[in-house]
Amino acid sequence: MPTETDGKTMMLIDEDEALIAAALKGSAYAWEKLVKRYEGRVYNYGLRLTGNSTDAMDLMQEVFLGIYRNLHRFRGDAQFSSWIYRIAHNKAVDMNRRKRLFTAPPKSADQPAVSEFDQFPSEPAYQPDVRASQGQTNQQIQKMLSKLSMDQRLIVELKIYQSQTFEEIAEIQEISINTAKTRFYSALKKLKIVLEEDHVLF
Amino acid sequence: MSCSKTQHVLVEYFADDLALIAKKELENHLVECPFCSSELELLLNTQNKLGRWEEESVPHWNRGLALFRQEHRIAEPGRGFWYRWQWIPTVASFAMLCLLLFNVSLSSDDGGIKISFGTDQPRLNIESYLAGFEQQQHEAMENLAIRVEDRQDANNLRLMQAVLDQAQEATAQSLDQMAGYFEQQRQLDIQDFQVGYQELADSDYETIRSLQQLATFISYQETVD
Repeated sequence: MPTETDGKTMMLIDEDEALIAAALKGSAYAWEKLVKRYEGRVYNYGLRLTGNSTDAMDLMQEVFLGIYRNLHRFRGDAQFSSWIYRIAHNKAVDMNRRKRLFTAPPKSADQPAVSEFDQFPSEPAYQPDVRASQGQTNQQIQKMLSKLSMDQRLIVELKIYQSQTFEEIAEIQEISINTAKTRFYSALKKLKIVLEEDHVLF
Repeated sequence: MSCSKTQHVLVEYFADDLALIAKKELENHLVECPFCSSELELLLNTQNKLGRWEEESVPHWNRGLALFRQEHRIAEPGRGFWYRWQWIPTVASFAMLCLLLFNVSLSSDDGGIKISFGTDQPRLNIESYLAGFEQQQHEAMENLAIRVEDRQDANNLRLMQAVLDQAQEATAQSLDQMAGYFEQQRQLDIQDFQVGYQELADSDYETIRSLQQLATFISYQETVD
């Protein structure tokens, strides 16, 4: 039966690989340290993508459950953070699809086609669970992002917040590099218009 | 005002690896075309705005530890009594309580250290002390009662004296007043008396005069006759 690794020894281990190895051997301490290291990034990713903390927490929990289930598959050929973001991306797409299945009203024929990614709450400021302490800037950014389609939101996330190259984005989103570039430009242009409309100039 | 190249130029501007020639071409166009350059500025502003995201802290959650432990069959830490020496304060408190309850005393002399539980005649000592204390209390109470009574008597005497003094003073005052009143009345009576006497004397004098006149008249008549 696996045993809890001694905390003092684990304090010295700082590398992701070592923590992953220890967690795979059953060290709850290593697992907790690993989660603590990345939970902030995943949670903020969720906040930007979903626009509210409840969904961001749900997404974060699903992401870490996915990480836990697939930890043994991580080969170390990519950065652990990239691997986590890949899982987060897939979970976000899944979650969005599921929400659409369960909550979307039936579309009538004359309604314009809505992207399947547009189902996350669109007005974070009106969500009852909007965090009281949330910064003004973050609220503005969430409001701006809520005007984008999920595809656009994801590409802004990948490009601006995760500093991915268009090549990597193209691979993640399974599109061509040119499409990725054009999609990013369209997203930025739309956000620019939103900013102009809201007079949230700075 | 618009430019047909705007989309192409700006899409390429954000590309990761632009060839040097293409980059030069792009920059030249931006210098020449005010529309494209102002569009680019607005897009960069937007990008900057997005970059101002402030990292928010994660609300409390269990980090999947329950599941982790369940799957790895690890006992929940922190639950057991013996975990991380947390039993030490409890044991220390219990030990202190025992020291107090059993009246443990430590003493050292030439023979070594002596630990004793309780004292030699604790109960007897306490009982005699209690009896002495009761006696003392009783005496103190009696003394106190006597002093209170004495003080009460003295107070009563002083009060009666004061009342009598006041009564005497009042009587003397009223007697003086009465004497004054009688004296005044007497004076008034004397005055009245004198006036009455004078009046009486006057009327007597009148009577004598009229008698004298009558006598004179009578003697005149006799003379005439």
